[in-house]
Amino acid sequence: MVFYLRYLRAELLRRKGRTILTLLGLALGVGLVIAISSLSNGLDKAQKATLDPLAGIGTDLTVTRTAEQGGAGGGPFGGGGGSRDLVEANSSVITDLSKLGKPGTQFVHDFFLPGSQLTFAQSQAQGIASLDGVAAVSSGLMLQAVHQEGKVPKIVASIKTGGQQFDVRRTIAPPTEAEQAKIRACLEKNGGAQPQGQGQQPGLGGGQGQGGGGGRAAFAKCLPARMRQFRTTFTTPQQTLQQVLDPPQTNIKSESYTIGGVQTGDPTTGIVTAAQVTRGRYLKAGREALVSVTYASRHSLKVGSKLNLNGTRFTVVGLVNPPLGGQGADVYVPLAQLQALSGQKGLVNVVLVRADDSASVSATQKRIEQKYSQAEVASSKQVADTISGSLVDAANLSRDLGFVLSIVAAAAAFLLAALLALSSVGKRVRELGTLKALGWTQRKVVRQVAGESLAQGVLGGVLGVGVGLLAAVLIDAVGPTLSASSTTGGGSLFGVQEVARTTSRAVSLTAPVGFTILLVGFGLALLGGLLAGAAGALRAARLRPADALRTLE
Amino acid sequence: MSQYELSGVGKAFMRGSAVINAVHDVDLVVEAGEFVAIEGPSGSGKTTLLQLMGALDRPSNGRVVFGGRDLAGLGDSELAELRLRSFGFVFQQFNLIPTLTALENVEAKLAPTGLADAELRERSAALLAEVGLADRATHLPSHLSGGEQQRVAIARALSVEPRVILADEPTGNLDTRTGADIIETLAGLAGQRGTTVIVATHDAGLADRAPRRLAMRDGRLLAPVAA
Repeated sequence: MVFYLRYLRAELLRRKGRTILTLLGLALGVGLVIAISSLSNGLDKAQKATLDPLAGIGTDLTVTRTAEQGGAGGGPFGGGGGSRDLVEANSSVITDLSKLGKPGTQFVHDFFLPGSQLTFAQSQAQGIASLDGVAAVSSGLMLQAVHQEGKVPKIVASIKTGGQQFDVRRTIAPPTEAEQAKIRACLEKNGGAQPQGQGQQPGLGGGQGQGGGGGRAAFAKCLPARMRQFRTTFTTPQQTLQQVLDPPQTNIKSESYTIGGVQTGDPTTGIVTAAQVTRGRYLKAGREALVSVTYASRHSLKVGSKLNLNGTRFTVVGLVNPPLGGQGADVYVPLAQLQALSGQKGLVNVVLVRADDSASVSATQKRIEQKYSQAEVASSKQVADTISGSLVDAANLSRDLGFVLSIVAAAAAFLLAALLALSSVGKRVRELGTLKALGWTQRKVVRQVAGESLAQGVLGGVLGVGVGLLAAVLIDAVGPTLSASSTTGGGSLFGVQEVARTTSRAVSLTAPVGFTILLVGFGLALLGGLLAGAAGALRAARLRPADALRTLE
Repeated sequence: MSQYELSGVGKAFMRGSAVINAVHDVDLVVEAGEFVAIEGPSGSGKTTLLQLMGALDRPSNGRVVFGGRDLAGLGDSELAELRLRSFGFVFQQFNLIPTLTALENVEAKLAPTGLADAELRERSAALLAEVGLADRATHLPSHLSGGEQQRVAIARALSVEPRVILADEPTGNLDTRTGADIIETLAGLAGQRGTTVIVATHDAGLADRAPRRLAMRDGRLLAPVAA
């Protein structure tokens, strides 16, 4: 080994304290840069998977029909009367407990509500499919479900009324002379019998039984108007009055969840896709269900479990991590099954649209909005904006601070290395002066000092890469969990309180270390070494040998 | 032509606003192979004069001519080359590189000459043997006594077979016996090689060993001291 390298090695090995301090500083700086970058990488990955929910379900746009206050409904994308439909669709379901059986009997029932997303005919999705820029569409039915079980409450009290007869009698003043004359004249004219004479109970009682049918009719006809209805008999109609009682106070347990009807034809596009299946398999058809991981955990469900929805038994064929951003559900069943269960045959309330390519997404969105004025079209970014949680916070933090932290860590490492190099040169003035006195040229002295720093940079880089890898492994092992969630609904629409739907996703953070990051980290250490070397060498170069030697006297 | 010809050499330093004339108007001629002692108390300008003669510094005025070349006319790299091949320095503080072994310290002087590594080691080991330190070759300076360190410094100074050895208080940090021993070694080896030796000292005993004694006071060279 040439002398200069032996000298360099001797300087590094025999000034252990300084070397270790410099190496640790560089390694820590580089390790931090690698760890932060890897963490940022991990966050990016988690973000891509979680905060870009539409990409996860193979789509670019979601189309829904949202009711407008006071809207008349209808229109090209309408299914009926807008807000009125929504109110009816939601309220009719809720108030029908009495139909579940006799009060006091046990019931288990799932009520399906469309929530704030109005339904429309499934066939209308084809209208969107025919638009320019649309590559594929898939329909879905997202419903809020309320699972209730308990005893049927006594909601109404029945009270029978009616059936009574009422006899009304009145005393009427006898006919006046003039009236009698008129009656007689009338009877003569109509061929009726004369009254039997004065003193008889006037009028009608005496008339009865005389003269036969024709005489009675003529008599009735000839009576003055005021005497014709002096007696009335009526019977009240029989009816049952039902009175709504106070809200039921039975032991009804109620639990809300969300359910989605999936078009199962294409497992890559839909409100849930095969990509979200974490265990088991995707839906094929028939009475199969997918349940979200969190719902499964809450209800101890696993692949193969049975799920009873209003008497229909579904087999859980897979667990899924549902996409965030509004279209996530706890339970997914084939679309036709949900339509049948909820009485929404032929209806859907969300259409997923895949554009021809990413460049045409915006234009396609505009086209759909123009053609269907009542359609609410959301892009991936708009959906992503509805997502919150610690993952979003961490991702924002990483975006805002990650780069700055990396720079600070690298700068601190450089500064430490440079200061140590300068301090080393300061302490070695006598040594460097001696080298000059021995005949070393300035170039050789500078090269030696810079070489030492560069070697420290290389070693610091190697050590830093090790520290960075170790940090990444530790992060992977600990796997800090971040969450992302999106909430839709929860407001009040036309007097109907909508159930808030919150979909959450726990993301275990990883720190994937790429070769590029390692290379950059190593390069930074090398750069740190060079900078430190340059700083030290500059000071060494300025040393005049006589001055350097004079300092030792 | 004399080896050294100094005429009107002066060196001034600024200390604050005051001008300090460390060396003032020195005229001196030294012939090759001479053993010259420059005596004087501390601060008399001996070290500065030695640095001017060893091309470690440039005079403020006057001329230092070595081997017929005016040092003022040489660039930094030429001065470095001159220091490498023509001069050997021995310092009061020994000035060994603390992280290098005795052998490597000798090699440090030889390395810039471009010798192959093996030859470098061989010559350095031979020189250490000459000063009686063959068995201490792998020791660091901190593990050597003062006398041993100065012997390493002498071996280092002689390694390139310089034309001049410039020794600044070489016995200043040694006891009398070791000092005498060192001067013996230095004078003997230089004599064998015909090397000029210029020693700056305030030790009259050491100066006594030099055939030519000069005295300095307040930066000025006084009349030669009788041997």
